[in-house]
Amino acid sequence: MTRYILSRALQALLVLWGAFTLSFVLLQVMPGDAVLIKFQDPELGLSPQQISDIRASYGADESAFVQYAHVLGRTLAGQLGYSIETGVPVSRMLHAAYPTTLRLAVVSFGGAIMLAAGFATAALLVPLRPLRAALRLVPGLASGIPVFWLEIVAIQLVSFHWKLVPVVGVSGWAAAVLPGLALAIPISAPLTQVFLSAAERVMAQPFIDVLRARGASPLRILYAHVLPNALPPTLTISGLVFGEILAGAVVTETVFGLDGLGQLAQQAVANQDVAVLQAIILISVAGFVVINFTIDALHPLIDPRIRRTQAGGAA
Amino acid sequence: MPHPFRANMSSSWPVLALATCLAFHAPAPARAADAAPPGGTLLYLEKQPHKNLYPPAGGFYPNGGILAQITDRLTWQNTDTLAIEPWIATGWGVNEDSTVFTFTLRPGVTFSDGTPVDAAAVALNYDTFGKGNRALHLPPSEVINNYERSEVIDPLTVRFYFSRPSPGFLQGTSVIGSGLVSPASLRRPLDEWGDARHVIGSGPFVVRDEVPGKSVDLATRPDYAWGPAQLAPQGPSRLAGVRIIVVPEDSIRIGAFIAGQADFARAVEAYDEEQITRHGDTVYAASTRGVNNSVVFRPDNPLVADPRVRLALLHATDRPDILRTLYSPHYPLARSVIAADAQGFVDHSTDLTYDPVLAARLLDEAGWTLDPDGWRRRNGVTLALAVHEALPQPQSRSMLVLLAQQWRRTGVQLTILSGSPAMTVLDNLNPAVTPLFHAEVGRADPDVIKSAFYPTNRNVLLQKGGQSRHVDHFVDPELNGLLDQVASDTDPATRLADLARVQADILAKGYSIPIFEEPQVYAGSARVHDMHFEAVGRPVFYRTWLARP
Repeated sequence: MTRYILSRALQALLVLWGAFTLSFVLLQVMPGDAVLIKFQDPELGLSPQQISDIRASYGADESAFVQYAHVLGRTLAGQLGYSIETGVPVSRMLHAAYPTTLRLAVVSFGGAIMLAAGFATAALLVPLRPLRAALRLVPGLASGIPVFWLEIVAIQLVSFHWKLVPVVGVSGWAAAVLPGLALAIPISAPLTQVFLSAAERVMAQPFIDVLRARGASPLRILYAHVLPNALPPTLTISGLVFGEILAGAVVTETVFGLDGLGQLAQQAVANQDVAVLQAIILISVAGFVVINFTIDALHPLIDPRIRRTQAGGAA
Repeated sequence: MPHPFRANMSSSWPVLALATCLAFHAPAPARAADAAPPGGTLLYLEKQPHKNLYPPAGGFYPNGGILAQITDRLTWQNTDTLAIEPWIATGWGVNEDSTVFTFTLRPGVTFSDGTPVDAAAVALNYDTFGKGNRALHLPPSEVINNYERSEVIDPLTVRFYFSRPSPGFLQGTSVIGSGLVSPASLRRPLDEWGDARHVIGSGPFVVRDEVPGKSVDLATRPDYAWGPAQLAPQGPSRLAGVRIIVVPEDSIRIGAFIAGQADFARAVEAYDEEQITRHGDTVYAASTRGVNNSVVFRPDNPLVADPRVRLALLHATDRPDILRTLYSPHYPLARSVIAADAQGFVDHSTDLTYDPVLAARLLDEAGWTLDPDGWRRRNGVTLALAVHEALPQPQSRSMLVLLAQQWRRTGVQLTILSGSPAMTVLDNLNPAVTPLFHAEVGRADPDVIKSAFYPTNRNVLLQKGGQSRHVDHFVDPELNGLLDQVASDTDPATRLADLARVQADILAKGYSIPIFEEPQVYAGSARVHDMHFEAVGRPVFYRTWLARP
């Protein structure tokens, strides 16, 4: 088990380093740089000489390799640097932004699980077969809804029309409810789809007929017997869904004007604010790695068959 | 303290003379509004986050929207008469040729960090704004021309010397870009001015907190007692504070405002105006009184090097149609390069006609003949132009799309580019990529025209000698000479005459197609009372109060 964790940790570090390097290369390829974008604003009226002085002071004129070594060294030392666009330490910007995204992720993921559970129950247990078939189409359709459209509709109805929650000037969990629930809908779709197909495979197995014959209620069969068997693939998908949450967060935070990591990333891309963008990429990749690691570690706890294979492998 | 130059005041500038009269006018009688209990935090929705609060960068509206609340200036430009009135300076004198300006300061004014607003602090401000600070990367201000040095006469008297006449300087002391900040702030390098908390002014509000790119919280300064006379009575703001929240998405910003979730919003598009007034709220359209919203040419690009091509495109533009289709009556049709309520305006309506026949003839004369496929070509080259959409300008993209449709009828192709801010910045510095530019500059002084067109200022035509390294040859010494004169002629009548020549010159050479006089359009809820805007349309919340809901 220790070797397993160690090798996974090493893998994680490699992934982080790869993401870091790739993002650096991609940002180098883009035309212009943050110094240029910010200080070539005609309202500042800087001369070409002044701009090249500023570029030199940021090291923007160094060779790409020197810049890479500098940024990597700094990052390894735990220094995230300064945002050129705002002049604020990147760590301060992250500190201001991550709680919003975390709340959004918690609400949308929690909401997605509840939606998926409720919907899957309905789709499996509703009496009429054609109705069940119709319900099975819904997750596919839901995953096709553009998040921003759904969110604008949600805002128009819930906030502007029914005046249930304000969208501006709110903070904390209150600000995460509406956007989180809106984001939960497209996220719940792949969870539901994977769970439904796994559940149907389980339900086709003979032991379910045995349970039915013994008189177990459909709800009991679903939760006590189908669910544990259909959970592992759903869990694997939920790790991937995390990526969708991150992508959705960019859109959602923009639409709702939330000050989270997604918003920060979007602005950093627009302004080519390299230090900010790299910090966000590292955090997202780290998040991905941690979540997938957690899920891999959870699998043996849920599924005894995996536990047995692993024990056999380690012996 | 005697004022050696005061005797010359009236001879230098009619506005100055007017200023003296207005300086002593009695404060406006208290209105019913003054009885309202103080308090309440005004929620203000901004479209874009601020970038940099170094005062000379205040031309960008989100920057100016904060600086207008937290900084004071030496003088106040009356928003009705455009006269220069006392503020932090109680009086001033100017010598005969506008090279020496002496200001007497109001006693007892302090920055919010406790340091006094005295002659030394003001001198440091102007030395920085006038000359820039290389070590700290602080650039000089575009509104202060020919600055030489300052001299502290006594703690409340400061004098400025100029190498050449600088008649625009007095008005320059009234603009947002001349906001006075604490010496401690002026010791910071340019990149630290993005953090609003670093900017210490003497204004009625102070920055309490900010979330970068997202919100700025302003708190009222209780000991503030030195507002400009036009905004009498003096004293602290009647609000408890102002909360500025950035909401870039138009539908959410305006929707939240209409739903009553905010008190004030900037950047209301013409198509939303009716929705706002229908709900009993107010649309404020403050004029920016400067260079109009225009499409300008970069003659360095060979496609638009011929004045006949530029004039043809001017006459191929149906400006009233653009205004009817996209804008509201708050957007007056441009009648010259500068706005009708700007100083020195000359009506050039007759030069700005929509005349497709003339346009076609001019293009034919210039050798651009119409091919059967409907496009104009010369030696196998298509007359195909490109322009970047300008995000700060209202409905820039729709406006340019409409322009492209109109020019298409004359056989000219216009592509509207969009891209990342970096691409836009780079492309707009390259006349080969962007032969056209969508421009606008607000400032209530004749110098504004120099700010827009001069090579070392914004250089909208991309002349040689400015920031761009892509300009091969284009430079117009005649125009630059006229712009120099506007910025340095001491006789106000001559100065306005120069400004008239500049307008005629720009239009005769077809450098610019002025479209409309650009207002800053805001929405204010019915709760908001006593709203003011400075001379070029930034909101001033100092006297504002909120009625109870």
